[in-house]
Amino acid sequence: MNLVVTTPWVLAGLLLALLPVFSRGMTTSPTPYLPLLPPDPLSAVLAVLLRLCAMTAIAGLVLGMAGLYSSEQRVERIGLGAHIVLLLDRSSSMDNSFAGRAPNGKEESKADAARRLLTAFVQQRQNGLMGVAEYSTSPLYVMPLTENKQAVQAAIAATATPALGFTHVSKGLSMALSFFQGQTVTGSRIIVLVSDGAAVIDHDSEQKLREWFKQQQVHLYWVFLRTANSPGLFDKPEDSRDDNPQVMPERYLHQFFSSLGSPYQAYQAESPNALKQAIADIDHLENTPLHYWERIPKQDLSGLCYRWASIMLAVLLAVKFCERKPC
Amino acid sequence: MTEQLLYRLPWQSPAVYPGAHTGQTVGAGPLFKRHGSLLAHPDPRRIDVRASVLNPFGDYQVRLYQQQSNITVWVIADLSASMGYADKPEILRQFVQTAADSAFAYGDKFGFIGCGDHFEQRWFVAASQQPATVTGLCQQLAQHRFSGSAKHLAQAVQYLPSQRAMVFLLTDCHYPLPQLRNLLATLQGHDVIPLVLWHPDDYTRLPQWGLLALQDLESQHSRLLLMRPSLRPKLQMAYWQRHLALKNSFRAMGSEPLFMTGPYSTPTINHFLQQRAA
Repeated sequence: MNLVVTTPWVLAGLLLALLPVFSRGMTTSPTPYLPLLPPDPLSAVLAVLLRLCAMTAIAGLVLGMAGLYSSEQRVERIGLGAHIVLLLDRSSSMDNSFAGRAPNGKEESKADAARRLLTAFVQQRQNGLMGVAEYSTSPLYVMPLTENKQAVQAAIAATATPALGFTHVSKGLSMALSFFQGQTVTGSRIIVLVSDGAAVIDHDSEQKLREWFKQQQVHLYWVFLRTANSPGLFDKPEDSRDDNPQVMPERYLHQFFSSLGSPYQAYQAESPNALKQAIADIDHLENTPLHYWERIPKQDLSGLCYRWASIMLAVLLAVKFCERKPC
Repeated sequence: MTEQLLYRLPWQSPAVYPGAHTGQTVGAGPLFKRHGSLLAHPDPRRIDVRASVLNPFGDYQVRLYQQQSNITVWVIADLSASMGYADKPEILRQFVQTAADSAFAYGDKFGFIGCGDHFEQRWFVAASQQPATVTGLCQQLAQHRFSGSAKHLAQAVQYLPSQRAMVFLLTDCHYPLPQLRNLLATLQGHDVIPLVLWHPDDYTRLPQWGLLALQDLESQHSRLLLMRPSLRPKLQMAYWQRHLALKNSFRAMGSEPLFMTGPYSTPTINHFLQQRAA
């Protein structure tokens, strides 16, 4: 713990803390011969304690005036958790309900449900870093990996603004992967992709993503918010002519992810409850030992100093009232 | 001068000058001492016929009488800071005045040695019969502010004559016991009458409860006492044990002390002096 003061010259006042060594600060009564009195351990201990009280009271006041604070510090911690990047789909279809309609008063939109459940998810996670990226026509850099939950929650809340046009999943994934660059590998690294549709990934991007997923050792979770009557991840087309990425992008994206070689899990959520279940699963699964540095912000200790000094002064005042003279 | 100290000696004064106390000198006096040869004491008025007849050597015997001799009364006073506390200076002053008056009334000489940290000329009064000197001394004592320790007490004997004298030792004995024993050892050649001045408030007026900060008058050290009903008797016991230890120290050196804890009273001292002579 690094203790720092704002006005160092006030510390010269610490010399005043030596005053109680020289003076007891009590009204003394004369006695002819002190060595005559028998030693009394209780009184001796009390005398030392009172001196300490007075010294610490003065020291507390001086340190308070000097503005004592503990500087920002990093604490090494080991816990269970993961580094998670939430990759959110901002395509306009997310603003529809699971039934594929514009939400009325009764049902909430997919984006709302995702927002609500992800906020709760962020709140639950004890350790680890979190980041938020979004994508629609192009990727949106929202929040890099941080341990500040409030910032992440605010970033998730910011998705409440109306969504944008298309779904460009490969660029979004690239950005989410780029968050892990330059970070030490500790615990597990997760990308949670929350989307309600997919898009074709061109060959170049495919190659690059394969490479990066291997390099960064990232686990991928795809929470697919399936709209009613839309093709699912695991559906096989009835007509073999429809079996191509243009017609069934979800199926092909799923296949691509499965072939990445890194751990991958897809959840097909067709209602807010299913989404909740999927997120609970991720929360449960991704708790691996994690080594990380926690940042403790600068803390003002002058209030503490003043509190200590006032307690000590109250004690000394009480003692003052207990003073007696030979009656 | 209303009251006098009535001191009588349990020993014989070696002084040659006539006075009021039994002495060792042969001379004019009412008490028969022994017979002596007429040749050695040529005073035919004192020839004792019966003793001369009975004397196997046949020479004339004269009756010799014990001469009443005077003595010197010294007061050695402790002038340390603890003696300036409460009414001790007043007791000291009154005693010096009374002792001097009594000595002059007996026809004895009076001397005073005051001992603080160092020897000071103003606190030394050589043995004399001058009441004015004592009056001046008492005035000085009344104005004096007592400070320091009683270190010089051990050197007091240097200012005493070699002849046996009566020495009143006025002190409160608030110094280590070995120091007291040394002092008494130096005074062995004299008739020491210790008068110990203690103030009863020191041990009777302690509070039952509370915090009591005590400061030593001489060393200026201070101590904090958490007064409680169990500590009070302990402190009083400490004073009582000190009392006994002092008494034993004085007795070991052949003198019985008088603890003066109340206001000054000549009859109390007289009572003590008469017990002593008996």
